[in-house]
Amino acid sequence: MGRAPLTDEQKKRVPPGQYVTEKFPVLHYGSVPRIDLARWDLRVYGEVDNPFTVTWAEYQRLPRKSVHTDIHCVTRWTKLDTDFQGVAIQHILGLAQLRPTARFVVAHCEQGYTANLPLSVLDDDDVLLADSFDGKPLEPEHGGPLRLFVPKRYFWKSAKWIRGLEFLDHDQLGFWERYGYHNDADPWREERFADG
Amino acid sequence: MTTSGVGAAAARSEVRELIAQKGHAVDNARAATARLEAAFAAGDLVRTPFLDQALGDLATALDQEDGQRLGGKSAEASRFILRAVDRALDDA
Repeated sequence: MGRAPLTDEQKKRVPPGQYVTEKFPVLHYGSVPRIDLARWDLRVYGEVDNPFTVTWAEYQRLPRKSVHTDIHCVTRWTKLDTDFQGVAIQHILGLAQLRPTARFVVAHCEQGYTANLPLSVLDDDDVLLADSFDGKPLEPEHGGPLRLFVPKRYFWKSAKWIRGLEFLDHDQLGFWERYGYHNDADPWREERFADG
Repeated sequence: MTTSGVGAAAARSEVRELIAQKGHAVDNARAATARLEAAFAAGDLVRTPFLDQALGDLATALDQEDGQRLGGKSAEASRFILRAVDRALDDA
């Protein structure tokens, strides 16, 4: 049995070139990392006045937030009405005390994966460090224990298995951006690949 | 530094053939990586910082732990990285 047809309101929420799925496809390269939460930490550093590192136990004591929104993958699937929970990135930015020189961020992840964003995109009220989806801990194949969540960009920017946020005064291409994915990744502009 | 000579030309040509050959991108990536490493070891090509990073990224993309299937993006990562390697070969 297929899904119900999209309403006009839902259709308006689907960016060009995307199709809607109710599934949550798993897309990554290499293997899913095995992560020991007892040794896990998250480092926030770079152009900040208060660099810090949190352990998993410390992370869990941070204030929580839920975001209800749509997500869009560069491979053309869109999933409507998702619910992700975690810590608001704006809380992290406040703790880190960004310097005026901080204009870009690189998310550093397990296995050396990186994704880059301008601070102007990161600093938004729907951006999270997400540890849960639909109220349940993020499964490892979906980026658990923790992923960046930036729903206004194609989902590769929502880097899985995040371990660090490095704030920079200059842009520094991430993994996919280095090899030809679009640096801006706005689904409403269909910014999939650098060469169009 | 860009290398020249018969060995360098042959290595570039063979790596490009392996990149372009028909077949699965992951297999092409493994074959091209092996040929590149042989060329580096023989001194036919030099390991530039970009190629070094690209081969490291490729190794991660192709990493397959016991009991796990390769991620669905491994083939795409291979294709994108191999294209970048192809462009960077003339500097090696």
